[in-house]
Order: sequence, then structure tokens, then C-alpha cells
Amino acid sequence: MSTSANQTSLWALAAGDSAVIASIDGHATDATSQRLIDIGFREGQSVMCLLKPGFGAPRVFAVGGATYSLDRATAERIKTIKPAS
Amino acid sequence: MTNLLLVGAPNSGKSALFNKLTGLSHKVANYPGITVDVGTGTLKSDPNVTVWDFPGTYSLNALSGEEQVAIDTLKTALRSDDDALVAMVWDATRLEKGATYCLQVARECAQAGKPLVVLLNMMDVIESDGLDVDVSGLSKALGVPVLPVSARTGDGLIEAEAALLAPSPDLAPWADTPDMLIAGTANQIGDRFAPKGDLLVRRQAHIDHWLLGTFTGGVAFVVIMTLFFQAIFTWAAPLMDGVESIVIAIGSAVASVMPEGIVSDFVNDAIFGGLGAFLVFAPLVFILTLIVGAMEDSGYLARAALICHRPLSFFGLSGKSFVPLLSGVACAIPAIYAARTMSSRQERLLTYVAIPLMPCSARLPVYALLIAILIPDETALGGLIGWQGLAMSGIYFFGIMTALLVAAVVSRMDDTTSSEQAFILELPPYRLPELRPIISKSFNRAMHFIRKAGSVIFAVTVVVWFLGYFPNGGEDLSTSWLAALGRFIEPVFSPLGLDWRYGIAIIASFLAREVFVGTLGTIFGIESADEDPAALADQIAASGLTAASGLALVVFFTIALQCVSTVALLAREAKSSQFALKLLASYMVLAWIAAWLVYSLASVVLT
Ligand SMILES: Nc1nc2c(ncn2[C@@H]2O[C@H](COP(=O)(O)OP(=O)(O)OP(=O)(O)O)[C@@H](O)[C@H]2O)c(=O)[nH]1
Repeated sequence: MSTSANQTSLWALAAGDSAVIASIDGHATDATSQRLIDIGFREGQSVMCLLKPGFGAPRVFAVGGATYSLDRATAERIKTIKPAS
Repeated sequence: MTNLLLVGAPNSGKSALFNKLTGLSHKVANYPGITVDVGTGTLKSDPNVTVWDFPGTYSLNALSGEEQVAIDTLKTALRSDDDALVAMVWDATRLEKGATYCLQVARECAQAGKPLVVLLNMMDVIESDGLDVDVSGLSKALGVPVLPVSARTGDGLIEAEAALLAPSPDLAPWADTPDMLIAGTANQIGDRFAPKGDLLVRRQAHIDHWLLGTFTGGVAFVVIMTLFFQAIFTWAAPLMDGVESIVIAIGSAVASVMPEGIVSDFVNDAIFGGLGAFLVFAPLVFILTLIVGAMEDSGYLARAALICHRPLSFFGLSGKSFVPLLSGVACAIPAIYAARTMSSRQERLLTYVAIPLMPCSARLPVYALLIAILIPDETALGGLIGWQGLAMSGIYFFGIMTALLVAAVVSRMDDTTSSEQAFILELPPYRLPELRPIISKSFNRAMHFIRKAGSVIFAVTVVVWFLGYFPNGGEDLSTSWLAALGRFIEPVFSPLGLDWRYGIAIIASFLAREVFVGTLGTIFGIESADEDPAALADQIAASGLTAASGLALVVFFTIALQCVSTVALLAREAKSSQFALKLLASYMVLAWIAAWLVYSLASVVLT
């Protein structure tokens, strides 16, 4: 998948907004990316930012019926695109 | 004899199902051919079947060394020759989450020739929310039997057991599937079969909005933590007192029927006294595990970890260390147990480093005595602020900061304890906790503590008793071997302005910190110093303990690891006596240096 200009990291998603996962940095080559994929953060999946707690705390994301809290460094590995609609 | 292996992702309800299948008969043992401890029990309906509760991971790709161990354990067990059945527990409400894992396990099972059954759990939630899962379709797509169950209500369990015990001869069709295809298929299965609708996520997000909001979340956090400590101290204190008085009562009853003399003294003071001193921890372990377990089950603990992640990561720790550290403010023993849930060994070791420095409740009587000696019982601002209370808060703050700062230093110094682990934490849905399994788990932990840490603690108690009792038969502590030891090590404490009497009390306090008060009471001839420290405080103040030495003692007790129980349990849980002894020695040296610095400084400033 080519990196297009309208790709943003998951961390940049506003609370309540959804997007589609475009790619994950280091796809399947390191353990963290592999884990993200295994728990549901896969290319093409829709992901939603549920909550942005204050003070830079890890944020809450919903993907595939489950909710996860990811810190900044981890969320920034995930690149998303806005759905066309 | 058949082995039934339970496998499943964290929060899939594997433990709940295990409890239902075995009737809470949980114990820990080695799976045949594997040296790692695995939870085990026998099937309620068929005692010939042993159920094994394998540690949950999210997939067969490890994120940490600890997970790799769990995964290797599972793989070895699957490949061993034993007659084994495999049950994969899968959360129906979060199907996407376990899809890869399920297919990976199916592949392992097919390769090893072991039958696999999928238990689709949490079906009660699916039903009550009017959702739908195509169970037979899922079974066809996977090529293995899928049985809908609910570990909460028990629905479907009879059918599930029947299917498990009469496995079909067909193996799962995934034996030769490469990783890429597994991932792709997991994707498709998630898309096709996951319940549609985000009702579950929405309901949870609504509560999270409050409990994680910048302002409301902060308020809720403070309120919940206050309740937490209230509950621990109001429930555990009477239980602990109860245990202690029962042990003492039995001890004196036994001693009273024996002729006076050394045997009776030994039974009364060493055996029952020693027993009482560590048995009191058992109710504390029980209560704390109970409350933490209920909070964990309710879903709040994961949120608390999230809230504390940023501040803790500043000190090299992570949000997952929060619960152990919090428990450490009550007592290090349950805190060390609480760290079991941390999957990364490095993070866990760093948490172990910080726990003994948290201001535990055994330090409270020591601080109370020293404050009574050092600080006048006066108030300021028209009775609004008591100086003694303020001093106590200050000491607590000092203790917590020391714990965090030491963790920060250690994590930067030592690569084996620090880690740049990604923070990925599943937020389970909010649920009403189910009490019975939590009570049973709390009870097991309390018993584990008594069995595993008991012998070491007991041995040390007996040694200290012997030193204090001989050569004069317990007549006079000041001429005992213990006192001789105190005089021998006096040079160690004299730089802090402390004489041999404090030396003895400090040695004795390595049994448990609060012993310090009782020992000084004995030396200064004040019985019942434990209940009423005021008289002892007067005596000590009159005997000329300087303020600088008093401060040095406070600092010493804040840092030193004076607790046999903690050292014994640390060695057990860290699986390294060396780690525990190193910690003991380091904190002794650090405590002395810090105390000496404070003493030297205070001697200059206060005179
Ligand atoms: N409603 C409902 N809740 C369930 C069911 N099974 C388990 N739970 C709850 O789900 C939560 C997680 O269950 P556990 O049994 O601790 O899950 P686990 O898979 O062992 O998870 P770890 O202990 O983290 O490995 C608990 O609060 C259970 O009470 C079920 O069938 N229905």
C-alpha cells in the first residue's frame, strides 16, 4: 500500500472519530506490531477513537468489538485513512 | 486418565470456565513432561479427567520473554504423547480478538493429532443484548466443533463436556496452513461471524466517559482509592487482631498446662509468638486479594492502570505496576502477589524493587513512636493542623517518593529491569464481579503464603528467640546473646547517635518492623508499649535520644527491608533468592547511608 498524503496516525484521530487502518509500521516483523495485528488491528479494519483522557494518558480505541488502550508510541505505529464516505 | 487442556486469550473467561468445570478445585502442579507450574483440577463430572488451565496469551506470537515461556509450555504440552483433549475458550462478544489465536491452536492440534473443541463463551451476553452469532457456520468455517457456552450461567456446559469427552476422529484441517493464510482466514472469520452492532462498545464507552474524563475521572479515582484503603483497614484490622489474639490465647493455654521453664517459654514466645506474628498477614492477603479481585472483575483496574500509566512511566514503571504499588501501601506481601498479573518479567522485577519501599502498615507503629518522641503534640491554625499528623503525612510522602525515585534510578541503570515495552492494555467491559471464585482465589493465596513463606519466617523467629533467651533464661534481655550482638554491632549504629539498645531493636525488627516498638518496650522496661507508645516515648525522650538520631531512625525505617516475610516471598515469586538477598543488602546499605546523611545534617542544623 502506498503512503498517501491523507494517511494519519491513529494517535491523531479525534475522540468519536472512525477511520480505516491502512498499515502498521514494521508490519509483522517485530513483536509489538505482530501483537497489534493479532488482537485485531489489521489493515482494512475500521477503528474508532473512543476517548482521549487528559495529560497525554494512553487513549482508548475500539476495534473488532474489543477496546484497547494504547500509549502514544504504539498508536503512532498504526496509520489510518478516512473512509471515503 | 485423560488430560483436558484449556486454552484462551486473557479475559475470555477461561478461569471462570475452569472453575465451573472443576468446581473450584484449583491447585498448581506440573503438566506431565513440563516443569512450568500450571493451574490444575479434576473434572467435576468425571474424576478421571484432569483439567489444565494454561496461562492465557493473545496468540502464539510472544510479546515478551514471559509469554514465550507460556507459549512454549503450551506447544510442548500439545506435542507430548499423552492422551490429551484441547478446549479453546473464545469470547463470542469479541470474536475478532481470538481468531488468529484459535486458528494457530487448531494448526498445532492438527499437527500433533490432538482433538480440538472450541467453547464459544459469554453467550449469555450475546443473548441478553439481542445479538446473534452463527455458531454452526463458524464451526464449518473452522472445521472443528464449536459449542456455545456461558461460564457465568452454566448454560451449554453439559453439552460441551459431552462433546469434549467424545471427540470426533477428524482433525482440524489446518495442519499445513502457512502463517499468511492463517492471518487471512482469521480476518475473514472475524468479518463474517463477529456479532454486528457496537452496542457493547457503546455501553462501555459511556461509563468510560465519566471514569476516564479529565476531571470526573480524577475525582472518581480519588474516591475509589479512598474507599479501597478504608475497606482494607476497616475489614482487615479486626481480622488481624482476631487472628493474633486467638494464637496468643491458644499459646498461653498450651503453656499453662506445661511446667514453667524453658519449654513453656519456647512454646509460648517462640512458637506461638512467631506464629502470631506472621499469621496476621494471612487475613491481610485475603482481604486485599478479595478487594483487588473484585475491582479487577468489575473492569475498573484496567482503567486505573491507564490513568496511572503516564506518571508511572516517568519513573520507568508502567500503568500495570499501579495495583501492586498501591497494595504495597497496606502491605508488601499481597503487593508481591498482585504483581503476578504483569506479563513482562522486567517490569515485574522493577515493581518488586519499588514495593518494599512503599510505606506499609507495619511501619506505622514505628513512625507513631518516633513522631511521639520528636514532634510536640500541638496543633496550629486553631486546631486545624496537628503537627504530628502532618509529620506522618510527610513520612508517607517521603516513602512513596523514595520508592518511585529508586525505581527510576534502577530502571536507568540496569537494562534487565527497564523496558521500553509498548503499552497495550485491553479494557474489559464493566461487569458485576462474581464473588465466589474471587473468595476462593483469595483463600488460596492466603494459604499459599502460610505454606510457602511460613517455614523461613518461622526459622528466623526461633533463632532470634534463642539469642534473646540465652544464656540467662530470658531473665534479662540486656545480658542476653542478643544484647551481646547489639553491643558488637554498636559501632555500626553509633555514627547515627544510636547505642546498643537501638541496635538490638533494629536487629529484631528485621523479623517484622513493628517488633522494634515491642523490643524497645522490653529494654526500657515498659510492657504494653505496643498499645500505648506514649509512656515509652517519654522514657526514650528522657534517656536522651537526640532529634537528629530520631530522624535518622525514621529515614532508616523508610528504606530498610526489615521484613522476613517480604524477603522470603520475593525469593519465591521472583524465582531468585539472589534477587531477594541483593535487595535486602542494598536497602540496608542505602538506609544506613541516607540515615547517616540526615543525622549529620540534622546534627549541624539542630544544634
Ligand atoms: N457475562 C459473562 N461473564 C463472564 C463469562 N465468563 C467469564 N465472565 C467474566 O469475564 C471476566 C474474565 O473472566 P476470567 O475467567 O477471569 O477470564 P480469563 O480468560 O481467565 O482471563 P485472565 O484471568 O485474564 O487470563 C470475569 O469478570 C468473569 O466473571 C460468561 O460466560 N458470561
